[in-house]
Amino acid sequence: MEVERVSGLKFHKKQDVAIVGAGMTTFKRRLNETGKELSFLAIKQALEEADMDLSDIEMVVMGSAPDAFDGLHMKGEYLLDGSGGSDRPYMRVFVGGGTGVFAPIAGYWHVASGLADVCLVVCEEKMSSCMPHPQSAFKYIWDPILDRPLAPNLIWIFALEMNRYMHVHNIKHEDIALVSVKNKANALDHPCAQLAEKITVEDVLNSEPMALPVRRLDVSPPSDGAAALIMVAPHIARQVTDNPVWVTGVGWALDTTMWTNRDLYFPRYVAEAAKMAYRMAHITDPRKEIDVAEPYDPFDYKELHHMEGLGLAKKGEAPILTREGVTARDGDLPCSPSGGLLGVGNPIAATMGVKAGELYWQLAYRAGKRQVAKEVTTGVCQAWGDLMQVGTVMVMSNKR
Amino acid sequence: MFNEKIIDPAELRHWGGKIELYWIYTSGEAGDRFFKALKDEDKFIAAKCKKCGKVFFPPRMYCEFDFSETEYVEVSGEGCVRAFTVAKLDKNEKPLEKPEIYAIIDIDGTDGCMIHLLREVEPEEVQIGMKVKPVLKDKAEREGKITDILYFKPS
Ligand SMILES: [Zn+2]
Repeated sequence: MEVERVSGLKFHKKQDVAIVGAGMTTFKRRLNETGKELSFLAIKQALEEADMDLSDIEMVVMGSAPDAFDGLHMKGEYLLDGSGGSDRPYMRVFVGGGTGVFAPIAGYWHVASGLADVCLVVCEEKMSSCMPHPQSAFKYIWDPILDRPLAPNLIWIFALEMNRYMHVHNIKHEDIALVSVKNKANALDHPCAQLAEKITVEDVLNSEPMALPVRRLDVSPPSDGAAALIMVAPHIARQVTDNPVWVTGVGWALDTTMWTNRDLYFPRYVAEAAKMAYRMAHITDPRKEIDVAEPYDPFDYKELHHMEGLGLAKKGEAPILTREGVTARDGDLPCSPSGGLLGVGNPIAATMGVKAGELYWQLAYRAGKRQVAKEVTTGVCQAWGDLMQVGTVMVMSNKR
Repeated sequence: MFNEKIIDPAELRHWGGKIELYWIYTSGEAGDRFFKALKDEDKFIAAKCKKCGKVFFPPRMYCEFDFSETEYVEVSGEGCVRAFTVAKLDKNEKPLEKPEIYAIIDIDGTDGCMIHLLREVEPEEVQIGMKVKPVLKDKAEREGKITDILYFKPS
């Protein structure tokens, strides 16, 4: 039996884990459908792609972010019947915005441990239920004594972080806006996209100021949607597909809760999570060994921030790579070829569809018009969330 | 000091707070059909799984057991009592002026149940298996809500 020491963990892997199917709904405001119905629609697609039906599923992992969005306490239990969880081992996991990659990490350990040979991972978010605005729910993640009396808006924290990142590396807003331009254009090829469009850097710089330097087009939209993945053991993968994609590394880490004490210009939480995942995947030089990446991009500067945390660029170098076209779909290191959260939409946990889901589609050569130009073997996807301090990372490869 | 027992929070610096959010809940594809049929047509809609034949009530767009699609079927809305309770206290544990009977009702022709009030019957007369039927609000007053069914009564 393989035993590896990973970042202080003694990791027993019983079997390798492959992804053999993915599905997602369109991301948009979907007031009519319930979260259960959205989950069902995404799962149906994933099952179809994997050539399976629900009876093949042994265990289910559900990912969904705060209960406050749906206005249901214990949302995981509520979503169970639309998640394919009835009569089988089922659990909900969530680390806020990091859930979209954390849920497949949980799916991975279900299979890698040998507890399940087939695990369905489904992520759902229905933000449009929350009034007066989904943004209002975030008011209650702040410390009730130190922060909340100042009436903060969630955008503030990103504005402060973006400001610090720009200051430390002397980065111009123009360079950051290029990420939004790239991702929204990439999303034109995504059938599920909410905000796909051709825009210019000037459009971003002239858009509505939210909390400067953050402007409207620097930000991804709230949306409703669901996504699903089927994760299986090697002997199952062989039965259902000729091109499985293997999960070769997983990692997650949290920085301090006291966000005011964090290193705002560099996401240490992502760097720590990536270190764990790369060690497991035997990756020593990510810039060379990663062919395609889906870094979490709820804001344009965040893609850059996260590329640096993932070791895909040196500190302060990500804007330069972006400007030089390296991260474009036909570049040497395509980033967010899906169109990301900026272009496809940001239904928190369900962004699994444009991060882990897209990476699987890219490595399985199933991304259609979104397929990157270069030959791809290995990729990384990442999400970020909780109280802005969790990094969740997954490395995949089409070679075992 | 670890044995201190502070039972009056006013002795400490303290902050009140509440979460001020509200939500719009929708009943989904299947739920919307159910409530519209009830409100406008006095009809009860269920959903039958195209694969295993299970009939869900209230209806759902999918079968939760095999994930097949369902088709809508009309049922009478009548049924029989599966279980009941006589509630003496309200949700805040205040005595109710008049005890209410809550029952789980097996809806005829379906594999589903619904919870609702039983009225026009005394608590000591209720029996498990008793046939009951729904009493609806006047059509003009219906809102497409579960409370469009006022209660169930013996049939
Ligand atoms: Zn069925």
